[in-house]
Amino acid sequence: MLDVVLPVLVLGALALALLGALRRIGLWRQGRPSPVSVLGGLAAMPRRYLVDLHDVVARDKVFANTHVATGGGFVAAAVLLILVHGFQLESRVLSWALIAASVVMFAGALRVAARRRNPPVRLSRGPWMRLPKSLFAFASGVFLVTLPTAGVVPASFGGWALAGVLTLVVAWGIAEMFLGMTWGGPMKHAFAGALHLAFHRRPERFGGGRSTGLKPLDLGNPEAPLGVGKPADFTWNQLLGFDACVQCGRCEAMCPAFAAGQPLNPKKLIQDMVVGMAGGTDAAYAGSPYPGKPVGEHGGDAHSAIVLRGGHEGGRALVDAETLWSCTTCRACVEECPMMIEHVDAIVDMRRHLTMEHGNTPNKGREVLENLATTDNPGGFDPASRMNWAADLDLPLMSARGSADVLLWMGDGAFDMRNQRTLRALVKILRAAKVDFAVLGNEELDSGDVARRLGDEATFQALAARNAATLAKYRFREIVTCDPHSFHVLKNEYGAFGASYTVSHHSTFISSLMEKGRLALGEWTGGRVTYHDPCYLGRYNGEYEAPRKALKGIGIKVVDMERSGFRSRCCGGGGGAPITDIPGKRRIPDMRMEEINATKADVVAVGCPQCTAMLEGVVGPRPEVLDIAELVAAQLVAAPAAAQRAKKDVAEEVAA
Amino acid sequence: MNDIIRRDPRTEWIARNRLHPEHDAVLARMGGSTPAAKWMGPNGIIRRNPHAVGFIGPNGVRRIDRSGAQTANAGASARREAAAAPTRRQIRIETPAFYVAVVADMPGGRLSAHDRDVLGLARQLADEDSAGQGAVLLVSFGESREDALGDAGVDRVVSFAGERFEGYAPEQRLTALGGVERQHEPRHWLFPDSSLGGAELGRRLAARLGERPATQVWQIANGECTGRGAAGATDVTRRLPRIVLALPECAEPVSESTHAAESIAPPAALPQALRRIEDLGAVAVDPSSVALAEAEFILSAGNGIRDWGGFHRAASVLGATEGASRVAVDNGFMPRHRQVGATGTWVTARVYLAVGISGAIQHLQGIQQCDKVIAINTDPGCDMVKRADLAVIADSSEVLAALVELVDGVKKEQRNAA
Amino acid sequence: MQRDGNRNVTGQERVKVAALVSVGRHPVTGRPRRAEYDARAVEIGLSLATGGNLHLAHAGECSPESEAALRAYLGMGIAGVDVLQQPAGADIVPALEAWLRELGPRLVLCGARGETGEASGLVPFLLAERLGWSLVCGLAAVESVDGDSMIVLQALPRGQRRRLKVRLPAVVTVDAAAQPARQSAFGPARRGGLQRLDTPVTPDGDAQSWTTAPARKRPKRLKIVKATSARDRFKAAAAKAEGGGGQVLTGVSAQAGAEAILKLLREEGVLR
Ligand SMILES: Cc1cc2nc3c(=O)[nH]c(=O)nc-3n(C[C@H](O)[C@H](O)[C@H](O)COP(=O)(O)OP(=O)(O)OC[C@H]3O[C@@H](n4cnc5c(N)ncnc54)[C@H](O)[C@@H]3O)c2cc1C
Ligand code: SF4
Ligand code: SF4
Repeated sequence: MLDVVLPVLVLGALALALLGALRRIGLWRQGRPSPVSVLGGLAAMPRRYLVDLHDVVARDKVFANTHVATGGGFVAAAVLLILVHGFQLESRVLSWALIAASVVMFAGALRVAARRRNPPVRLSRGPWMRLPKSLFAFASGVFLVTLPTAGVVPASFGGWALAGVLTLVVAWGIAEMFLGMTWGGPMKHAFAGALHLAFHRRPERFGGGRSTGLKPLDLGNPEAPLGVGKPADFTWNQLLGFDACVQCGRCEAMCPAFAAGQPLNPKKLIQDMVVGMAGGTDAAYAGSPYPGKPVGEHGGDAHSAIVLRGGHEGGRALVDAETLWSCTTCRACVEECPMMIEHVDAIVDMRRHLTMEHGNTPNKGREVLENLATTDNPGGFDPASRMNWAADLDLPLMSARGSADVLLWMGDGAFDMRNQRTLRALVKILRAAKVDFAVLGNEELDSGDVARRLGDEATFQALAARNAATLAKYRFREIVTCDPHSFHVLKNEYGAFGASYTVSHHSTFISSLMEKGRLALGEWTGGRVTYHDPCYLGRYNGEYEAPRKALKGIGIKVVDMERSGFRSRCCGGGGGAPITDIPGKRRIPDMRMEEINATKADVVAVGCPQCTAMLEGVVGPRPEVLDIAELVAAQLVAAPAAAQRAKKDVAEEVAA
Repeated sequence: MNDIIRRDPRTEWIARNRLHPEHDAVLARMGGSTPAAKWMGPNGIIRRNPHAVGFIGPNGVRRIDRSGAQTANAGASARREAAAAPTRRQIRIETPAFYVAVVADMPGGRLSAHDRDVLGLARQLADEDSAGQGAVLLVSFGESREDALGDAGVDRVVSFAGERFEGYAPEQRLTALGGVERQHEPRHWLFPDSSLGGAELGRRLAARLGERPATQVWQIANGECTGRGAAGATDVTRRLPRIVLALPECAEPVSESTHAAESIAPPAALPQALRRIEDLGAVAVDPSSVALAEAEFILSAGNGIRDWGGFHRAASVLGATEGASRVAVDNGFMPRHRQVGATGTWVTARVYLAVGISGAIQHLQGIQQCDKVIAINTDPGCDMVKRADLAVIADSSEVLAALVELVDGVKKEQRNAA
Repeated sequence: MQRDGNRNVTGQERVKVAALVSVGRHPVTGRPRRAEYDARAVEIGLSLATGGNLHLAHAGECSPESEAALRAYLGMGIAGVDVLQQPAGADIVPALEAWLRELGPRLVLCGARGETGEASGLVPFLLAERLGWSLVCGLAAVESVDGDSMIVLQALPRGQRRRLKVRLPAVVTVDAAAQPARQSAFGPARRGGLQRLDTPVTPDGDAQSWTTAPARKRPKRLKIVKATSARDRFKAAAAKAEGGGGQVLTGVSAQAGAEAILKLLREEGVLR
């Protein structure tokens, strides 16, 4: 009997799955066009899966092995199943291979089940809880029905009754695995995930690359939507990406806003986008909610607004605005996501719509954006006073010099008394190392970072264009800045407007000065020092080493926090979050300060004016917050012999 | 009277030492026994008794204290009246050649400082014409409780009292001004350019009379006036027009002379104004719930508040609007819309009283535009104390309690006195 | 009384509202922008008139710079602004008067004063006078509008309010006490239209003879000292020097501290 039922079952399921796939593809194609290389993408997909994706999954070793066994076992079993039982290929070898695959898969399923017995909170429940059982059903069902084909037991073994039971078990397994894949069960991730990898909107991320700059909006075209107002405004491959989510909650576990009790959970956000794409409500969502927002109240479809105009008065849509405004754009979720989903892109896309169409940037957002448009800095300070902090320093101006080796980008910290100390320290270091540098002075404008992350692409592009025009007037080898936000924008986001530069963070520059022996430095004699990795330097630009090297150069042994390097936790200062200031249960910088305190550090070294402000905003007693530049400048000693030697090298270098 | 001079060298020394804390008190005591050195003669001329000037120094030599303070208090008790009487010139203008009309705000029935400045300006205009002496005509609405109009430089007063001028009645007041215009044809109309009414009434009159006024005027000289234009960004100088709306400190208030401030009858028959605006009365706004941005006096709480009940009591007793630091808000003691600072409200209060607030830069940003900052803090080194015009280094609860007690005490006294 | 975000104005369905808007000037950089008070007036208009019943007019030049500023009003969610083309140095009142007569709004919202030119704040008064309409200054909020009258809240100093019933049509002025204007969004600003209308020009003769210069700093008045004697002068000077730096009372009793505070509060006149 099985040899009659099984082909029908397998091939029927396959056909239905195909239908589901077409429907799913239809859902994605509601999105806007986005050119990708179809063949190239598909060709690159296996490698992206096996290498890039697996690298992320492998951060959790145990689960990585589980996934290899389950996933690998399943893929093999599925292909063989189709051949052996679907097309009835009579091959002992294939049958044995199928048995082997189902055993491997079964072993994997055991581990999955074990993990599901007491799952960490970050994992979603619901259909995901039945997945191990379905895996068992598939693996064991396939195992058993293949025994006769492999000749282990006679074809008539067990009679009708057993055959019937087996058919049901296999049917369950196949339904979950084949139909679920395209009609929307937990297995959807395999189908969507594979295609997502193939058609990723940032192919540069694969093969060890990095792509973190936001994509520009085409403001020249009045027809192009300004950001994303309804799910169908996403590009099709973004929608596809949302479908790839496995609800593993790794993003949730890393998200500082979630931890602080702000109404954001990146995993839920991605799931809401899936709900929006397919239409319906979030009632079936079985993971952690947005803190403070019960599940089941939100819903929508591909062509209705994601966020309602004018707040909650008019009811609820897919997500609430404060969810989107809670994000610090720290990229911890993106860094951690095994499916390489781009949460920050999605959030900023939706913010763009809120700012540029609704005109509804919360709290101080309006003021900051107006200031940026009218005074070129977020604080509304007189742009002609940008250089006031350095009145006594006699800094060389580009407008007078025309060229210099290094262009020192001051950033808006120039208006802030605290950051002026950092800038002074940096100038001291540059002078000690006899670096040929100059500043733009009052010609410098805000880099546009905050405007862009608050969704005001128009103001960003205006600032970028004007800054680029100023920079184009002068000749310099590289830009050095102590503001990772300016650093990121200048380095990664101006390029789209035809302006590309060599940009270094001051820690990178200082550590290279140290390497070249151009700084005469004493030894740090203070207490314990820990280092806080700024998101825009670390995750955005992969610079984890230089700051530590610079600190090592003055004899500081950094005591790292539990969350450091690529897992550093945001200070809460990015993405305009301090401006939109969405309330939570606690403050992100307070949580970070607890982690700093856990290292028993006396000093926390930072490399970003935002981090400095956020961490210094934590109520004392707390460790002192000092920028790397300040720490290094304090160790500068009057040029000893070593530095004299170095000076000669410099002279040669300059001459060369 | 005892003629024997009993010397008290210490007292005399204090009397000579103007900086001594007891200087005033000693002078007052000494004053009782010396003859008046200065008084006003019958024609308003100051007369001096050279013999009564000064006092006998320690070695029997007469010493003269040029400061005058000593002798100002001098005089036998009988003459003290005369000595304390105003030293201002009394001026009465019988038949003015022209009028300069001033429509004062008179909040609460009293001249405001702004009113006095405008009156000073009016005085200037009335006195400067060599062809004839002008008179300052004060037009006042509602009941006046000001008893020293003459000291402010007012020669004549027309008051319009009565129910129809009460509250917000710009149309009625405008008709009244129209009456004055017909009756006296003032050479100039001056208004304080203030939100208390002058700005509005002045512009209404200008529109009614078809006269182009000069607004935001801060200087008048040589027949020209200068006023702010472009929201304070420019100075517009022009020939002095008939109607002038002047800013505070446009002129020095009158201080040297006293004027007659004679009441004259208001124009008899005013046409009935069309009543298009009806005043439904004030809306009670509790000071503590006034929007922070509009508040004039803010009592702000920080992490150094131990007794929240005491804080709220103090705010209500002082009639202050409540503010808070972010920490006080985060800790749930104050609502979010009460937060002052970079991410809260930027306030413009005249007085900002910061209790237990350390003065983080983000907080100080929010109070940049406050006139006077008072800090109550236990830490003398904190930034708020550095920013403050007055800082009291003490426990917040105690100082607030003491403040409440003081203010309550004063209020009780007033009630008893009334 | 709830003041923030109170947008539920009743009975406003079919009121025709006009708002007069000008090109402002940023106080620090002098760049053109929407004028602060005018924008607040538009904000009130938006809370009153839904669906195309709010009409905006600007009388003045329509240069590229001023266009950006005018678009900032459009960005508040307004479909169009009528630009009554007037050269610099023209008297704009006749043009606005004609526009209003033709439009026939029930309510005209104006900022209390402009940010460029004379900025005397006279325009609303002249218009109300010439049109014979009611005029109210310092509007904080409109509570309700019905057939021929409206109930409004007028702002008084110290955050106090007064309720008025005003016969329509009316001209009202709006200043800092009204709710801040909403953010201007790029999308609607780009889509909205500026309808340029040719209007008769009346030159402003008076203004021709004026001289305009950047504002001079006004000397801060010293505390009025009737400097009748050297002693008073000295005392005044000494007092001033003392007032410059903050006074810190350390080691005083709570009572003494409270007294010092009370003294300052009285001096500033904030105690009632
Ligand atoms: C991006 C950002 C934005 C921010 N925005 C704001 C903002 O808008 N507004 C704001 O306020 N903060 C803001 N902050 C927070 C700010 O940095 C400070 O953390 C905060 O202002 C401190 O509040 P505080 O002074 O009440 O508390 P603390 O710093 O803890 O100060 C308490 C003070 O009370 C004193 N004190 C303690 N006990 C007593 C007592 N018994 N009697 C009298 N005094 C006592 C102490 O000496 C101390 O000076 C912001 C921070 C960041 C990073
Ligand atoms: S978005 Fe990525 S990290 Fe977050 S739950 Fe989905 S797959 Fe996991
Ligand atoms: S970028 Fe950071 S704050 Fe935003 S959702 Fe991701 S983890 Fe959360």
